[in-house]
Amino acid sequence: MSNMNFDGDFDDLMEQAFSLPDGRAKVEVLEQAIQLADAAGDIDQGYEARAELVECGVFNGYPMKALVAFSWQLGQFDKEPERFDEFSLFWSYKWILDQAPSFPDITRPQIDQLLEDMKQRFGQYGYSDRTYYFYKMVTANEMGEVETAAEYMKRIQTMERDDMSDCLACEQNRVVECAVKQGDDEAIIEAAKPIIEGGMSCGEVPHVTITKVLFPLLRLGRQKEADKLQRRGYRLVKGNRDFLLYHGEHIGYLTLTDPIKALEVFEEHITMALDHENPFHVMIFNAYAAKMFQRLAEENLSYQVKLPAEFPHREESGNVVWLGKYFKEQALVAAARFDSRNGNNYYTDFIENL
Amino acid sequence: MSVEENYRFQVNLSGMINILSNHLYSNPKVYLRELLQNGIDAVTARNGLQESGYTGRIVVEVAGSDNNITLTVEDNGVGLTEAEVHEFLAMIGQSSKRGEDFLAKEESFIGRFGIGLLSCFMVSDEIVMITRSAKGGPALEWRGKPDGTYSIRTLEGELSPGTKVYLRCKPGCEIYFEEASLAQWLHYYGALLPYPIILQSGQGERVINDDIPVWIQDPGLARSHRQEVLKLGERLLGEKFRDFIPLMTSEGRTGGIAYVLPQAVNLNAKKSHRVYLKHMLVSEKAENILPDWAFFVKCVVWTDELQPTASRESFYENDKLEEVREQLGESIRSELMRMAEYDPDRLQHIINLHALSMKALAVEDDKFFSIIYRWLPFETTYGNRELDELLKEHQHFYYTLSLDEYRQITHVASAQTMLVVNGGYIYDAELLSRLPLVDERITVERLLPEDVSFSFTDITPEERLQYYEAVKLADATLQPFRCRVQIRRFKPADLPALYTLSKESSDLRTLETAKEASTELLSSVLGNLGANYQATAYATIYLNLDNPVVSRIFTSGHLGMLPTAVEMLYCNALLMGHYPMNRKEIALLNQGIIRFIDWGMDVNHNGGASHE
Repeated sequence: MSNMNFDGDFDDLMEQAFSLPDGRAKVEVLEQAIQLADAAGDIDQGYEARAELVECGVFNGYPMKALVAFSWQLGQFDKEPERFDEFSLFWSYKWILDQAPSFPDITRPQIDQLLEDMKQRFGQYGYSDRTYYFYKMVTANEMGEVETAAEYMKRIQTMERDDMSDCLACEQNRVVECAVKQGDDEAIIEAAKPIIEGGMSCGEVPHVTITKVLFPLLRLGRQKEADKLQRRGYRLVKGNRDFLLYHGEHIGYLTLTDPIKALEVFEEHITMALDHENPFHVMIFNAYAAKMFQRLAEENLSYQVKLPAEFPHREESGNVVWLGKYFKEQALVAAARFDSRNGNNYYTDFIENL
Repeated sequence: MSVEENYRFQVNLSGMINILSNHLYSNPKVYLRELLQNGIDAVTARNGLQESGYTGRIVVEVAGSDNNITLTVEDNGVGLTEAEVHEFLAMIGQSSKRGEDFLAKEESFIGRFGIGLLSCFMVSDEIVMITRSAKGGPALEWRGKPDGTYSIRTLEGELSPGTKVYLRCKPGCEIYFEEASLAQWLHYYGALLPYPIILQSGQGERVINDDIPVWIQDPGLARSHRQEVLKLGERLLGEKFRDFIPLMTSEGRTGGIAYVLPQAVNLNAKKSHRVYLKHMLVSEKAENILPDWAFFVKCVVWTDELQPTASRESFYENDKLEEVREQLGESIRSELMRMAEYDPDRLQHIINLHALSMKALAVEDDKFFSIIYRWLPFETTYGNRELDELLKEHQHFYYTLSLDEYRQITHVASAQTMLVVNGGYIYDAELLSRLPLVDERITVERLLPEDVSFSFTDITPEERLQYYEAVKLADATLQPFRCRVQIRRFKPADLPALYTLSKESSDLRTLETAKEASTELLSSVLGNLGANYQATAYATIYLNLDNPVVSRIFTSGHLGMLPTAVEMLYCNALLMGHYPMNRKEIALLNQGIIRFIDWGMDVNHNGGASHE
């Protein structure tokens, strides 16, 4: 505690940041370091601290901060490309592209232009087009263009990986995600096998893969396996802001198998959803929360839902019917924005059909 | 129809050994661990035969010098039959099943034998093993070479059951055969073995492991053997400890001692607990055996129920480990809670040293939080204080959500003797927001930077009337910078202005700075994202009428100078708060400085201000 330092120099702050576990506190220290570097007009320090902020933000639920920091970095890079290392910057670009569709305010043409911009930059530095097509696939998938994504996926399979390719576990996870969008239960389970059973893993896999398999397993009557997997997956994501969407999916699964447990997961994470930076994650979380409240309303029980001070309608904490409607409406309003950007009806349909 | 034939892959053994030594094992000295493990497994298996009067023992002997050093490891365990030799020494991965790692099976004793023995090729070019099975049959001699070939022959004469392995030191590997090192490593791996390990050499014979203390069986007894426990901790972990907590799972298959680290540790410090599996050291850097919050202890743990990974240096993340981890965590937690009741000074001492660890646990666990919250330290405008001290005079706490917000107001809040707790440090905001749940006397409220103005003195209605035009003009001046102007009186009087920025306006400032610096494409993206903020994102600057300069600006009646003066106060506040200035603000500052120099020169020339 005594080492709390408002006015430490840049190096102190960076050291402090490295000593903190990933999360809000670290993000704040990095922001402070950036402020200090900018106030001093030190471009190198500003760049260094932002590189950290991009990574920390992307993987800990602060994508907006990451996007802002990355934009600054790219601007500096273009002014003096010799001054900075292109590899880590380009790597960040992929993360940014992965996040971009999650913001309905970013238009389709802007997403397309970002992809073309990345392609051109990667080409200039001798990296292959595979990553471009890969993220064409990723963004198409996220925008609900299932067929287009599948075509890109086919194309990628025949191209050679290079240093800019995501790790094998991440790529395999995208195969799972495509299968999810296509609604093919058998294919989902098959694609997830190398991850779930074969031990393919990285910082985010199998965390993000497991929930994708739960629903198919349940539908195929394999609840026992699914239950076990659910516990494993929940352990991996629990409490990490980066995985808000997956908390939502756990709630979704538990709604079908153990609704009271679902409520506990909801209560534990609703605070996170209330000020989360990623509108897409919030939408999915709200959608599954809505479904859960609808399910709870079917029981002849009275509830007292624990809602945090930040929740705007705490007076409704005993009214699960109302809460169900409220969360559904929140989710649908968000879905309408995504759909209007994407030019389809994918997410509205998705929520209506949950 | 053609006949289908099956062939086997041939594995290049020397390549395999290379892989083992370079990638699987962390250091060649593990060959000794593997030999010791084989001996222990054999003794364990023979114990299972329940022969009367049997006591296991393992003898290690090192002989010779220079380029003729040999090492033997002999056990009086169960031994191997010829069939077993072929099966276990020649087929690597024999016990593999269901895609699990072949070393991961819990029950087999011989399953790992072959691969363990292979590690000896890291230090020896030939392995000779003489063995005789307790089940009968002749004594056998097995010779293995690193090229993957081996020979077996039957030995004449009667040998008692057991196994003896001979290694000849490879040139360059002498350091792995030195007596003192061997003694150290044998203790290191086998300190907790329940039967003797004996080391023989030209210097004589010594027993490596002392008698096992009673509290290994029942860690609860450790409390009454304090000095002994601390001594073992020092010997095994190489640190002097002053306090410890016994660990035990409900089934009793895992136990240990958690030594309280004598100094505060970094949150990200590597956790390196020492774990013994079936009496044998498997890891000295097991990170996953305790919950994350327990980073204030270093443990010696013994278990017979966890599965080591292939390198045997940590454990498989599975349900069992999760269960063990939770229960060991529970041991620590309940001991701390017991201390709160019976030994609060001791607990306070631990909290003083390891506040972060305590907070990490408290965040996860309301019950624990409710017991220890009184002693938790926080940074406040009254200095670093434990909650207990604060509670004597306050039941209502203001806290900030971030460091940045705290920094904005700390100076001013102190001057108003307003108590504000900094929630910006890790875990603090979460804990503060949950305080009312653990103590119903307490109420808490998040403080926004502008809220600090609640404690300011409002200007009187007369002053409001008097300064109406001036304030309107000042407000209009800073409008382009999305900053509102408010007039108040507050301490300290030497502070002319307080600039406060909500999280939203702060985010918008950052976004706009990045927008200016970025590429056209990303600027347009940021433009879209920023559009949402515009409506809400206003900053506020409070001008302090108690400050002589501010007072002069507003009472002079010279409105002509006022806009520039307010602009300069604004720039000054930004600089003081370390806010990076955007282009417009820097231009403002530049013009302002020039204008003031100009005015200053006029004053000197004319002997008075001439601007109206």
